[in-house]
Amino acid sequence: MSAARPVARSLLARATAPSPTLRICSSTSTSQFHSSAHLSARKRPTTARQPKSDAAAAAIMFPERSQKQLDQFAARYNAEQLQAIQAGDQTIDTKELAATGRLRVDSFRMPYLDDFSDIQPIIDKRARRAPPPDPTARFMAMDEFMDDLVAWADELPKGPPTGTLKRLHDFVEDKYRKVHERGWPKEVREKAMDKYKAYRDQVVARAHAAGAGEGGPTDADVLTYLLERSSMTDRNAPGNSEVAPGLPSQVPGVAGLYKRAIDPEDEGLDDEGIYQDLKKRTGMSVREILGLNVKLFKARWVSNQTRLGKVRSTSLTCIAGNGNGWLGVGQAKSVEPMIASRQAMLYAIQNMRPIRRYENRTIYGNIEAKISGTVVRLYARPPGFGLRVPHHIFEIARAAGIRDLACKIPRSRSIMNSVKATFEALLNQPDPEQLAMGRGKKLVDARKVYYGGNVY
Amino acid sequence: MGILTINHMCSHLQNASRARLGLTSVPNNKYNLNLALALHRAGFIASVTRAGPTPPPPEILTKFEDDEPVTTANVATRRLWLGLKYWDDKPVLRRLQAVSRPSRTVWADLDQLGRVSRGFEAGHLKGLNLGESMFVSTDRGVLEIREALAKKVGGVVLCRVS
Repeated sequence: MSAARPVARSLLARATAPSPTLRICSSTSTSQFHSSAHLSARKRPTTARQPKSDAAAAAIMFPERSQKQLDQFAARYNAEQLQAIQAGDQTIDTKELAATGRLRVDSFRMPYLDDFSDIQPIIDKRARRAPPPDPTARFMAMDEFMDDLVAWADELPKGPPTGTLKRLHDFVEDKYRKVHERGWPKEVREKAMDKYKAYRDQVVARAHAAGAGEGGPTDADVLTYLLERSSMTDRNAPGNSEVAPGLPSQVPGVAGLYKRAIDPEDEGLDDEGIYQDLKKRTGMSVREILGLNVKLFKARWVSNQTRLGKVRSTSLTCIAGNGNGWLGVGQAKSVEPMIASRQAMLYAIQNMRPIRRYENRTIYGNIEAKISGTVVRLYARPPGFGLRVPHHIFEIARAAGIRDLACKIPRSRSIMNSVKATFEALLNQPDPEQLAMGRGKKLVDARKVYYGGNVY
Repeated sequence: MGILTINHMCSHLQNASRARLGLTSVPNNKYNLNLALALHRAGFIASVTRAGPTPPPPEILTKFEDDEPVTTANVATRRLWLGLKYWDDKPVLRRLQAVSRPSRTVWADLDQLGRVSRGFEAGHLKGLNLGESMFVSTDRGVLEIREALAKKVGGVVLCRVS
């Protein structure tokens, strides 16, 4: 193979010999297996027209001012301005500007130097006709509302502006104009009064002829006021957002009517108000509720078959205990698993009941409960035995504060049913005192008699 | 009849107790009488009275026999009337399970009884649970298991009660 390679290369090289115009670029190329020009040959020479030096670039970018340009300046500017322009030309080093400004001089440069005064829809963000809404605007108080109403009324067309009507002084000669009318001679005053009355009647008649309601608000004006006038202290300024501003914390008229769920007794632990109802039902504080031992068990997926199809829900079983003889089981279903888990937890805490414990460590005797096909048998065990039970019953025992326990689940071992059966069994433990009273016997626990009861 | 009458008595008492009866009767024979008296000593039943085929009046229930003495003429019609107990809305005698059957008599010696009374199993006998009693027919009469242990006698296991 090594022997065949030079032959193949020479043959192929001859067959695909580049054209003379591309021979310069193909000098570094290896063998080609196609007849098109090499990539480096096809590349456009982007730097070909770049000037060699900064001085050359400066000469291209900032050429000397021509005599015609100077004549135009002289026609447009005065002598001081021309001096300033010349001083600026002398001060600015064009070579440095060309070196540091990095202005493009290639053939693909933009035909202008953008000053960003124009908005280009492709490049720039969409122009907003109005500024953003005032974030500090609030609902107007009564006096602010009155001022706003007056301002609105002032905007309405009311005919000729006020203050243009002629007065009595306009109907007398100039020498009486600066004198109070009481100082006028009688005939002058009567003559002026006659002229003034005639003028006033004329004005009133013209106003009547123009129409009764001229200048007042039309129905359209009132509708516009109701629908579009801002009721906030933003001076009715248009905003760039169509979204209504958020309600303030103090809405006039309803402030104080809605109480927030936050209770200072909760110490900020229940700002969402999840435990408020539970607090009332159980009498526990939120801190106590949060300190409970809560355990969610594996979810089941259940579905409600409707004529529109299956509605699938999550069913969750939860236990809650305080680790000291109280235990509750809750079950909840919801389409939303989060809601189901929260509701199951709340139900579990709400259902908490006291569990009888022998010596605060195990149960009374051997107990059994059956839920559906699940039978749970729990056995009392001596101190130090531990919890030799399935994992879910382990969690239950730990939540209830039971430390010595054995268990058998001879039949179905469904978690949901065995949890329920365990709870039922723990609730229905026999009470030795009650048994003894029923039989009319006296009962003494020997463990509490010998060694002064110090057996545990 | 032998042990069969005990089996019948056990079923009947459990049924009567679950039916919440106040007074029920079983046939009058020595075996039934001894078990009834043992149950009475253990506090499972309120009264044991031997009377006729009709329920005796309440004042008679405090006595062992009614006014009519047992003779050979009326002994066949005598019955044991047992008063049932209820406490805390539940029957005191909740479960009464016969152990020995006519086809299989279950014996237990002192050692086995001791194990059973402490909650451990012995042979085919399971250990007693909390509040459970076992009645044993011995040569000292029908005894509760703890009485038998005190008297150091074993015998035929009749029933377990809880």
